[in-house]
Amino acid sequence: MQVQDLGRGRTDVPMRFELDVELGSSTYTYVIAFEIPAGGEELRVLEEKLAINGDLVYTRKMADVRLAKNGRVKEATFPIDSQLVALPIVQQHSIKDPSWEFQQWLARMVILRPVPSLILGGSTKETLRPIPDGTNFAAWFSGLLASAPSAYAKIDEYLKQVLPDLKEIKNPVVGKEARSLSVEFSNKNGSLDLPFENLSDGEKCFMICALVLAANEVYGPLLCFWDEPDNYLAPSEVQHFVMALRRGFRSGGQFIATSHNLEGIRSFSDENTLFLYRKSHLEPTIVRRVAELRKGRNFVGDLSEAMVRGDVEP
Amino acid sequence: MSVNRHRPHVWVLPEDDANRQLAIEFLVEVDSYLQAGVLQPAGGWTKVLETFKSVHVVEMQKYPDRFMVLLIDSDDDIGRIAYVKTEIPGHLAERVFILGALSEPEDLERAGLGSYDDIGAKMAKDCREDTDTIGGHELLRHNARELDRLLQDVRPILFPSI
Repeated sequence: MQVQDLGRGRTDVPMRFELDVELGSSTYTYVIAFEIPAGGEELRVLEEKLAINGDLVYTRKMADVRLAKNGRVKEATFPIDSQLVALPIVQQHSIKDPSWEFQQWLARMVILRPVPSLILGGSTKETLRPIPDGTNFAAWFSGLLASAPSAYAKIDEYLKQVLPDLKEIKNPVVGKEARSLSVEFSNKNGSLDLPFENLSDGEKCFMICALVLAANEVYGPLLCFWDEPDNYLAPSEVQHFVMALRRGFRSGGQFIATSHNLEGIRSFSDENTLFLYRKSHLEPTIVRRVAELRKGRNFVGDLSEAMVRGDVEP
Repeated sequence: MSVNRHRPHVWVLPEDDANRQLAIEFLVEVDSYLQAGVLQPAGGWTKVLETFKSVHVVEMQKYPDRFMVLLIDSDDDIGRIAYVKTEIPGHLAERVFILGALSEPEDLERAGLGSYDDIGAKMAKDCREDTDTIGGHELLRHNARELDRLLQDVRPILFPSI
């Protein structure tokens, strides 16, 4: 977090995050608030809390962390640097510890706002953490297959549906083209081997989508937040693209997208669409469920048409 | 990828946004979702008919593997669906299905059948498993004959493994 992340330049108001997460049979509540101390230039943690199924794991005020009494663990306190987050520091007893599961879920959150023209096919290492602009796509591809080779079948299954002439994705480990993705297409007329960077922007988005779906299956459940997944796609592809992602997260994980694309927005019902609205740079963004807006008659008729008219006002 | 027009596929033309939501939540549950899609709401049942006649008749003639589902509210007018059927050209009638709530989709919610998400999912389950968990409701049971046709001709497109 950085100072410029504070909303509307309000350095006098803490920035607060509250998460309620259901993973398996456990519900996690995590709260963290940041502030800028008077005369300071860097954010510090004002408070922090983790509870599992309503039972406190720890609380924290400024630099003081208090571990809650829990089974054989006695209540304890310890100081921490006020600029450090306590969550990764609070010790887990084993990987079966529920707080470990929560930390893994946080660490594996996928946040995407890809810029396809910047995505090349080379990689020097492997990762399970894609960076938002997608520029480490090749490292993510390698990391996913290294952690679960069976993920390729899932990637291949999706991509062959949307790119029927796809033959395979290559990522040689030795030779001149080592660790450089290329994609082979073929049909009865022959075949074509394209360096990954030469794919169209839309095709690169299909590739990212394939990895998201495979990752959710292999090391999910994931929370995937994709900023405008319908960018770079043809109108006839948008609904199916969104549907693939919605379907991929039905049995676990959560997919959240932002969109200005009417076809993308129409791929969701009112119940699972939030409308974000800001009157000016000096006022907070209002977030309302579209179903509530419709019930309150904040708009009538077709949502996308009302959006075109600018008639949706929370 | 777009729908493959040279293989059996289904387009749903909803009358309004409520029907669009039902259709989209149905589609989320469909196995072969790439061979189906939901079009922009027409803006009323007369507009559905108008759009169908001006656009989709020509397109359906061009693409013999195209099926269409028209989602029309009856607004308690029991003769509306029968009337719309008479407007469908005879040579396309086997590929066109007309479904909808007896009144309007909002009444399905009010009748306690759940949100559009729930209703769409239940409809898909009925279609997949040939069950009747929702189709027998008084607001929907008038669709029975069309649903039988739909199960025969469209279910294999949506759920090919069944």
